[in-house]
Amino acid sequence: MATPMELSCWGGDWGLPSIHTESLIVMAYAKFSGAELKIQTIDWTWKTLTGTVPALNLEDAIVTKPVHIVNYLRKQKYNVDYDLTAKQGADTLAYIALLEEKLHPALLHTFWVDAENYSNVTRPWFASRTPFPLNFYLPCRQSSAALNRILLTKGEPPLHSITEVEAKIYSDAKECLNLLSHRLGTSQYFFGNKPTSLDAFVFGFLAPLHKAHLPSGQLQQHLKQLPSLAHFCDNIISTYFIQNGLGSSPAGQDTVDANLQKLTQLVNKESNLIEKMDDNLRSSPQHRVRRSTNSNTSLVAEESSSSTPA
Amino acid sequence: MSLAAEAFVSQIAAAEPWPENAALYQPLKDDQILLSDHASSLAVQAYLRMCNLPVQVACRANAEYMSPSGKVPFIHVGNQVVSELGPIVQFIKAKGHSLSDGLGEVQKAEMKAYMELVNNMLLTAELYIQWCDENTAKEITRPRFSSPYTWPLNHVLAYQKQWEVRRKMKAIGWAGKTLDQVYEDVSQCCQALSQRLGTQPYFFNKQPTELDALVFGHLFTILTTQLTSDELGEKVKNYSNLLSFCRRIEQNYFEDHDKDSITSSTSRLSKGSSLM
Repeated sequence: MATPMELSCWGGDWGLPSIHTESLIVMAYAKFSGAELKIQTIDWTWKTLTGTVPALNLEDAIVTKPVHIVNYLRKQKYNVDYDLTAKQGADTLAYIALLEEKLHPALLHTFWVDAENYSNVTRPWFASRTPFPLNFYLPCRQSSAALNRILLTKGEPPLHSITEVEAKIYSDAKECLNLLSHRLGTSQYFFGNKPTSLDAFVFGFLAPLHKAHLPSGQLQQHLKQLPSLAHFCDNIISTYFIQNGLGSSPAGQDTVDANLQKLTQLVNKESNLIEKMDDNLRSSPQHRVRRSTNSNTSLVAEESSSSTPA
Repeated sequence: MSLAAEAFVSQIAAAEPWPENAALYQPLKDDQILLSDHASSLAVQAYLRMCNLPVQVACRANAEYMSPSGKVPFIHVGNQVVSELGPIVQFIKAKGHSLSDGLGEVQKAEMKAYMELVNNMLLTAELYIQWCDENTAKEITRPRFSSPYTWPLNHVLAYQKQWEVRRKMKAIGWAGKTLDQVYEDVSQCCQALSQRLGTQPYFFNKQPTELDALVFGHLFTILTTQLTSDELGEKVKNYSNLLSFCRRIEQNYFEDHDKDSITSSTSRLSKGSSLM
């Protein structure tokens, strides 16, 4: 409507517009509601040190934190929760709290505290996008902030060692993922056929986990075993983030995608079961096939690979 | 508890029935206990009464230090000590009593989500108001917390606890919030709970669950505790179905037993001990 608002956030990689959870939440919400945001990445600038991201820059104020930005967009009439009942609105708040409490510590740990992931994936990525000499300092600061937060909130006695805290937060996170998967079931979004703010939050938390190439990712393995959540992420990416340049309305694509998704889900479930039974005998052509990003070719390939054991 | 220890405890727990002399420990009721601790303790007491398990409430000045996790309340059953509502619910489940068995998977997911909402918003808001708001901390929280101790220990312990809580608030990002924003969050949380409850007697229709116990513990304590300002109570009073929910649980589970546990704690601080 008015001049497009500017959003400063971290840049993207691995097929995502941004790899920072909170920035992703805001971007997804903006896409769902049709708000136009001019994305200003803070990579390679000194803002990485001082700025809190994501931040919505308006003429007279700066709004930070996803919750506040979403509230602001709602007040500007970009409201995707309009059709929700009161109870669904309450459920949204509750599920967001669940994500914060149970899933967020484990995500922080996976990306920032786990030694292998941090040194192979996270630190190089962030260091390569911050100017000298910040690239030595900034990732360490984020990492220690993450560790601090985990220990302060979860590391109370009798969990005396970090390994016990790790076990607890990962088991909580896996339980949370299972709960989300149960809640999502087979539907495309959490509340019916249109995405809402809860979908934006879940997407923001899950997408980096889904897409990053992590050397030691037990949580990622767990996520891969929940096909409904994986499809949820892929669906949102392909519907809202790839048609960027085309500017076409995603509505028509949705129904076609929905059918395809359902079919792929069924086929995936079948091939999962078969694979589990024949794990020793089969080598991994099914793995390689399933990871291809184009849904069409994957569907065809799934069918051909699942028809072979029949 | 670590996962292996948890599994071990559940196995032992399953072996024995609930004894008659189970005890629940909390800080001293009249002088020492704080809003957040009282809320947690009341939630556990409500849950035990809903499961029909008898328990004696014992007040000790050093309850926090006796607890295995540093948090109150904790229960001493047989030769085991379990603290905090989550582990206590699991412990009781291992003994064969559970209130949420009849719920489906999606409902269990909802219940867990709402319990996290209460913990995330209400409990954190209570801690913030008690320890990060300078007025309340100076006039109410620090004197109460350190009342059983003599000088200079009372100062040391009070400031140490305050420093700890403030550190935690900073880590989760609540340090930057103003008091009004915290009240706003409480209001939003109450609105969500009120909308979820609707006109039903309990959150999952006919039978109370641990979510009802938790919500009751927090709301009842907020409504009946007097702080430096009444605004927290006012936020809750805006929702009449939450008020009648608290009244209902109080009548069903607390009034037929000894009146001491609830009414003395209300009369000590608040002007009007009834909810209306």
